[in-house]
Amino acid sequence: MRGFQATEAGWQAILEPEEARILLSLSRQLQSLLADSLEPDALADGAVRRLLPDAYREDPEAAEEWRRLSRRGLVERKVAHAATLSRALAAPAIASEPTTITLEPSDALDWVRAVGDLRLVIADRIGIVVDGDEGTTAEPGLRELYDWLAWIQDDLVRVFEPGDGGADGDE
Amino acid sequence: MFSRLRDTRSVTPPAGTSSSVAERLDEQTLHASQVPWSTVIWNDPVNLMSYVSWVFRRHFGMTREDAERAMLAVHHDGRATVAEGNREAMERHVEAMHEYGLWATVEKAPR
Repeated sequence: MRGFQATEAGWQAILEPEEARILLSLSRQLQSLLADSLEPDALADGAVRRLLPDAYREDPEAAEEWRRLSRRGLVERKVAHAATLSRALAAPAIASEPTTITLEPSDALDWVRAVGDLRLVIADRIGIVVDGDEGTTAEPGLRELYDWLAWIQDDLVRVFEPGDGGADGDE
Repeated sequence: MFSRLRDTRSVTPPAGTSSSVAERLDEQTLHASQVPWSTVIWNDPVNLMSYVSWVFRRHFGMTREDAERAMLAVHHDGRATVAEGNREAMERHVEAMHEYGLWATVEKAPR
């Protein structure tokens, strides 16, 4: 995959079938994780807590009330973002040749957020907790996926703002 | 330490009924003029600096310079206030930030 290019038709990138399959698999796993995230025990998962953080740090009651009023809608929107990703990848994932995908700007907005959510989940799985963590090597390949997703996200930000130099590195 | 939200509330829903969103917003309006709130972004090791800065520009309409400054404040100080206003507006910002995958909370603004 080389970066997205803004064209008359929309934002285009060429995906290898293997890349599309990997992204599609991750996206479906994210949808599944989010679909279960309203279950009572879901917050035991650090990734779910990071995807859906408390809105109040010092006030458990306000945090709970906010959760009750906002969480379902937030989950639905995050699922929709991942669904946009999955939808664009369905055909490229079963193709035998590299496929050009075309995103509308609204699709790209879903993509950049779904890719960010995937990074939050993978960061939890490989133990990136504070600045400077490199992640464990217990899950071979996950760190590479994490970095690849960062590259995709940074690339999408670049296309959102033509002329941006963009900054490198992790916050 | 911030004082607890409940202490400032003048309206409590009757027992057995859950407060509707509208009621809740009314409560917030009562306090909006007296109690400023803020939207705080917390540092995390995951989100890219370029992404965070872009989110600040896109959502809050910050200039590039302000967005970079806010992003670096989060990065170096662990947190930064990116908006202040009434509670309802701050909750909307926080929800939007969560949708972008940023770690954000609502706080009572220091007075």
